Amino acid sequence: MTRASAAGLGANFFDRFMVPIISLSVPLLAWEILARAGILNDFLFPPPSSIFPHMWAKSGVDIKGGVLYSHVYYSMLRLLTGLGLATAVGTLIGILIGLTKWGRFLFKPLLSLFMPVPTLAWTPILLLLMGVDNKTTILIVFIAASFEIILNVVAGIENMNIKVFWVARSMGASPLQIFFKVIIPGILPYLITGVKLGSGYAWRALIAAEMLAASSYGLGFMIYEASEFMDMTTIYGGLAMIALLGYLIENVMMGAIERRTVEKWGVQVER
Amino acid sequence: MQKDKIVAENVSMRFGDVLAIKDATCCIREREFVAIIGPSGCGKSTFLYVIAGFENISGGSITLDGKPIGGPGPDRGIVFQEFVLFPWRTVMENVTLGLDIKKVPSHEARRRAQKWISLAGLDGFENAYPSTLSGGMKQRVAIARALTYDPDVILLDEPFGALDVQTKNYMIQDLQNLWTEANKTIVMVTHSVSEAVLLADRVLIFSARPSSIIADIKIDLPHPRRSEDASVKSYESEVTRILSAEVDKSMSMERRAAA
Repeated sequence: MTRASAAGLGANFFDRFMVPIISLSVPLLAWEILARAGILNDFLFPPPSSIFPHMWAKSGVDIKGGVLYSHVYYSMLRLLTGLGLATAVGTLIGILIGLTKWGRFLFKPLLSLFMPVPTLAWTPILLLLMGVDNKTTILIVFIAASFEIILNVVAGIENMNIKVFWVARSMGASPLQIFFKVIIPGILPYLITGVKLGSGYAWRALIAAEMLAASSYGLGFMIYEASEFMDMTTIYGGLAMIALLGYLIENVMMGAIERRTVEKWGVQVER
Repeated sequence: MQKDKIVAENVSMRFGDVLAIKDATCCIREREFVAIIGPSGCGKSTFLYVIAGFENISGGSITLDGKPIGGPGPDRGIVFQEFVLFPWRTVMENVTLGLDIKKVPSHEARRRAQKWISLAGLDGFENAYPSTLSGGMKQRVAIARALTYDPDVILLDEPFGALDVQTKNYMIQDLQNLWTEANKTIVMVTHSVSEAVLLADRVLIFSARPSSIIADIKIDLPHPRRSEDASVKSYESEVTRILSAEVDKSMSMERRAAA
C-alpha cells in the first residue's frame, strides 16, 4: 500500500469512526460528571453509566425473563412489516401515478387530501376496526411511510428519460420486461430516498402508536409503561434503543443497499 | 438494384396546429446508408422517430419491407444523440440488453456482444458502468448495443451531436469499418454536412418547416473516405449550397415570427 492511500484510509477512518465517537461521548461524559457531582437531579437524569447495565439486565441475556428482546422484536416486526408493505404498495401506486392517466386521476386527489392528516389521527379508527393488535400498529407504520415513498417514486418516473422506454420497446421488450428491466432500476435511487424518508416517519408513528395501541410489547409501550412507574433509566434506555435501531436501519441496512446499487452505478439523486 | 426497404409516400406530421412534415416522399433501399440533413427544427428527427415507430404519422403512408409501420420493433435499432444508456447496467450488460430481452442464453449473448464491443473499440471496458465513461465511449456503447441484437435497420439520431469536435472526427474515421461490417440499412439524422458526406451513400435534404425532401444526392465515392479528399470537398459544397438556401429561408421565417 502506498503512503498516500494509507494516509487517505487514516483520514477516512477518522471521519467515519472517530468524529462521531467524539461528538457523542462529549455530551454523555458531561452528563455523567454533572449527574455524579449532584449538579443534575439524578432521579430525572440518572448517569448514563447506570443506563447500560439496566438495559443489559432487562435484555434477558443473563437473567431469565428479560423483556427487552420482546420489546425490540415486536417494534422491529411492526416497523419492517409496515415499511415493507409501504414500499411494495407505494412503488406500485407511484408508478401508476407516474405512468398512467387513470392512476393520476384516481390517486392524486386522495394523496393531496390525506397527506396533511397526521398518521396518529387514524389510530382511533384502526383501533375500533382491529382492536389492540399488531395489525393496528403495522397499518399505522404503513400509512406513515407510504406518502414519502409514493411521492419519491413519482418524482423518479418523471425524471426518467422517455427515450429509455423507447430503447427497450425498440428491442421488443414486453410490458413485464419493461417493468423489471427499466422502471424498477430506473426509479431505484428515488425509491431508496423515499424509503429512507418514509422510515423516519414510520419510526415516529410506530413509537406513538405503541404508546396508544400496543397491549404488552414494543419500545413505545416500554417507555410509556416505564413513565407510569417513574422508571427514568428504562425511558432513557428505550430512547437509546430507538436511536440505535434507527441508525442501523438507515445506515447499515439502507447503506448496504445503496452501496450495492446507486453508489456502484454512480447515480446520484439531488435532494 | 437492391430492393426497397423503407418507402415513405406523402408523409405528413402534425403536432397540434404545427405542420412539421408535409408530403415527404422517399425510398431507402436495403443496405443503403442514408443521411438526412436539414435546418434545425425541420422535423428530421421526427421523421426518424416515425420510421422507428415511436411517432404516428398524420397522413400519407410509410412502409418497412412493404408492411406499414405500426410501432417500434426489434427489426429497427436506434442510437440517440444523448446515448440513453442504462446506468444500472455495465457496458457488457447494456450491449447484451436486446439479446436478454429476446431471452438468448447469457453466454451466447456475451459472445455475440463481444464482437461489437471490440469493433466499437470498447475492449477492456466490459465491466465498467456508464457513469465512468466519456461521451465518446458512451456513444460507442450505444452503437454496439444497437448492432448486437442484429436489427435490419439502424437509426442514428444525430449520433455525434453531443461529442466535442476532436472526439467526433475521430469517431467518424474510426467507425467507418464498423458500418461496412454491419452491412445494414442505416438512416442517420445529422446537421453536419461533413458527417453526412463522409458516411452516407445518399444524402436527403429536408426543407424548412413544414418540411419535405427537396434534394436527394448520391455520394458516389468508395469507403473509407477522408475529409481532406477533393471529391469529398466538392460533394460537401454541393450539399452546403442547397442547405444554406433552406437555412436562410427558415431563419427569416423565425425572424418574421419573432417580429
